[in-house]
Amino acid sequence: MNKPRSLYIHIPFCSHICHYCDFVKLFYNNKFSEPCLKALFAEIDSYHIDKVDTIYIGGGTPTSLSDEEFTSLLDKVKDFLTPNGEFTVEANVENLTKEKLEIMKSRGVNRLSIGVESTNDGILKAIGRYHTYEEAVKVVKLAKQYISNINVDLIYGFPHQSEEDLRKDIKNILSLDVDHISIYSLIVSECTKFYKDGVKEQDQDESRKFYDIILKELRENGYERYEISNYARNGKYSRHNLVYWHNQEYYGVGLGASGYIAGARYTNTKSLKQYLEGNCVDIKETLSKDELLEEYLLCHFRLEKGFAKNDFKNRFDQEFTEVFRGKIDSLIERKLLIIGKENVRLSDDGMAIMDNVIVSLLG
Amino acid sequence: MSFDQSHIRNFSIIAHIDHGKSTLADRILEMTETVSKREMKDQFLDSMDLERERGITIKLNAVTLKYHSKNGEDYLFNLIDTPGHVDFSYEVSRSLAACEGCLLVVDATQGVEAQTLANVYLAVDNNLEILPVINKVDLPSSMPDMVKQEIEERIGIPCDNANLVSAKTGEGVAKVLESIVKYIPAPKGDRNAPLQALIFDSFYDSYRGVIVLICIKNGTVKVGDTIRLMASGHEYLVTEVGIRTPKELKKDELYAGEVGYLAAQIKDIKDVFPGDTITLRDNPCEHALPGYRKMNPMVFCGLYPVDSKKFLDLKDALEKLSLNDASLVFEAETSQALGFGFRCGFLGLLHMDVVQERLEREYGLDLILTAPSVIYHVYLTKGDMIELDNPSKLPDLTLIKEIQEPYVKAEIMTPKEYVGPVMELCQDRRGVYIDLQYFDDTRMILTYELPLSEIVYNFFDKLKSFTKGYASFDYQYSGYKPGNLAKMDIMLNGEVIDALSTIVHRTTAYQRGSIVVRKLKEIIPRQQFEVPVQAAINGKVIARADIKAVRKDVLAKCYGGDISRKRKLLEKQKEGKKRMKAIGSVEVPQDAFMSVLSIDEDE
Repeated sequence: MNKPRSLYIHIPFCSHICHYCDFVKLFYNNKFSEPCLKALFAEIDSYHIDKVDTIYIGGGTPTSLSDEEFTSLLDKVKDFLTPNGEFTVEANVENLTKEKLEIMKSRGVNRLSIGVESTNDGILKAIGRYHTYEEAVKVVKLAKQYISNINVDLIYGFPHQSEEDLRKDIKNILSLDVDHISIYSLIVSECTKFYKDGVKEQDQDESRKFYDIILKELRENGYERYEISNYARNGKYSRHNLVYWHNQEYYGVGLGASGYIAGARYTNTKSLKQYLEGNCVDIKETLSKDELLEEYLLCHFRLEKGFAKNDFKNRFDQEFTEVFRGKIDSLIERKLLIIGKENVRLSDDGMAIMDNVIVSLLG
Repeated sequence: MSFDQSHIRNFSIIAHIDHGKSTLADRILEMTETVSKREMKDQFLDSMDLERERGITIKLNAVTLKYHSKNGEDYLFNLIDTPGHVDFSYEVSRSLAACEGCLLVVDATQGVEAQTLANVYLAVDNNLEILPVINKVDLPSSMPDMVKQEIEERIGIPCDNANLVSAKTGEGVAKVLESIVKYIPAPKGDRNAPLQALIFDSFYDSYRGVIVLICIKNGTVKVGDTIRLMASGHEYLVTEVGIRTPKELKKDELYAGEVGYLAAQIKDIKDVFPGDTITLRDNPCEHALPGYRKMNPMVFCGLYPVDSKKFLDLKDALEKLSLNDASLVFEAETSQALGFGFRCGFLGLLHMDVVQERLEREYGLDLILTAPSVIYHVYLTKGDMIELDNPSKLPDLTLIKEIQEPYVKAEIMTPKEYVGPVMELCQDRRGVYIDLQYFDDTRMILTYELPLSEIVYNFFDKLKSFTKGYASFDYQYSGYKPGNLAKMDIMLNGEVIDALSTIVHRTTAYQRGSIVVRKLKEIIPRQQFEVPVQAAINGKVIARADIKAVRKDVLAKCYGGDISRKRKLLEKQKEGKKRMKAIGSVEVPQDAFMSVLSIDEDE
């Protein structure tokens, strides 16, 4: 069995908690961050990682760590990276300092993902972000002096957000002139402030309208939607995220992180206490053939290119059209599914209702 | 255990739900001397387990107890259980007919409740001696004197001899037993007269056939007798008689005044009608006992497995259930939309719910029920009459001279402040006002004639919510009347779905049609394409609503590649889909089939 070629590291600390965030996060406090990093390093050691092609440090907010902690973290992992590897760090506008950028630059970080989220200061405040759009513009400009490959995140579908607001966000984001843009619709999960406040997600008609506007605007401005929520120009795809969507294996380390090694998916504990005691993995499951098939579809259909017919056949010993005989005709007829010469993929309409399409294939 | 008639007491217990009927019964069972407290429990459980194994209804039915009275003599008590809902009021009346008296249990903290009254009236109708028992007097909030006064004023039963008890602690129960001896009359049958035995319940036993629970009004029955069931005319050879203590105790014969069971290799429970009279072939009685009514199913619906492969399982389950449920009838039918299933007949809506629940819970079946319907009498121009229990089978309009529908006479007792809303409800359901009378200072009895079809769906629930739960309701079938009726078809994506057809009154058809299509639009989830929902009468569309196509259904973000979480979300979606029925190309949830009866916007 080949070892994974990618590494995800989760840093569960934040200086502020956003009102919509559903991920494992804790207020930053060096009383916890120090032992947590120690436990993280031990976990990393336990996997005996040789070389990986992509490293992604996400969170939480990795840049909420102190400069010393941050340095030690990058030093710990930087040598795993192969020469042409991709090394991404997630950052917030408020703590992406010159110092942090210098540390990253010197340790080989070559891709930055900056949580801009909105360009409307009223919305930023309402969702619990502690920066303004103007500050975001400055930080992106600063970051470019160190690292050229930059992604910015944007969220749409906030309560009371109008189409005008959205178009303004898009215009502003485009003016940042970065190679990669991730745009997600707001999800209100339980255990978030938004959920408790009774914030509702956009209804599907509105959400689709916004999605279509985004798709059209970004395409017209030279971006390729290579994944359902991800846009890139100049071929600057997120190589790390493509590992997920190609359903390939990766190490996942850190509190609450998930990984995929040797055919088994696992999720780490969300309990800091457990984690500090070295009981990292909480749930581990080896997938059945049906589950493998399900994951294959739900990963690949997120991609504009879908999957290669050959690849499917190699993995499942059968043609896609054989496996789903009797189910694909109506999907093709409704122009949701496209069976090309080499590839199988979803149309724009199909991608927007991907979960529904998959359920009609598997149900 | 053989007793002189003068030392037999046959009685039942009437109570509003939660007023302590079963606790009192338990206490009586414990305090009688037939069996010790511990033994009784063991026996009870044994018998229940046995019943469970054989898959029959778990209920007490009737139990015979020996009681040693303070007057020094031994008595035989027969405690006869009664079901407690309007669907089963006939069965209640038959159980009561087997008794000479009853205990009316009233909660000392709650007082008389509307639902108790219907059963009290049945008891009065059967000339029973009613002994008021005021329960829960151990509670600090109990008001026994007020409750006594209430019973006297509202029901008209003297409470001088009312027993104050706590069934929970046992306080006062000994006195109840003495009162039973003292006040409930002994049965007065003639042991030497021709046999007259009242059937008040029955259940199926796979070894002995139908076990018939009887009360001997006159005469004697013994093993080896040839009996005749007077309503059906069937004759059987008696193979076993006995009493239940609650364990079965075989006896040689049963005499006038006794309550017990009888087995006679009766194969089909549908030959045994509650209320029917058993007599002897060779020495028959002149008249059957009064009060017998043939119970016909009043409400019909289609029952289909969600998974069409489960048709035979459903058939099996229905057969098993009907072994013990004489009122459940079914026959196979086919629906274009739903495939193979059964048209089933029930006594009423509660009965339908009970059957559905048992099929789903005990037999693990996932079912689709079509909207309940009554039996319509369809008179054809040729002169024939069809009894129609499935609206989709209504013949072409040109062939129909007239459609008649069944009516019931309904009596509704309600606190007087709710009379207005109740009358409004009855008018909305095409009710014809007959009478309004004071019951006491605070309550009134409203009598309406209502089409049965208008009360099969949520009438009782509505009545309860209109009266904050205070109204009680009882009805009796009152005959067929012509109505201005038509079949309303529902089309999904342009196709008529037979399982969604209903018979509606023309005056309200437009309103009903538009409510139903809107309701279906709400219930049926968006599909991959737009689906028009139309209601039509005689092919003419009277209402339409469009179910929009699904526009967005994709989880935007996967944190840190957490694919498992996403897959689990998808699993949920898949589960939801499994509970739907694919009709043509449209996925329809189970409850859509019921929604065609929606009458209100806000249901």
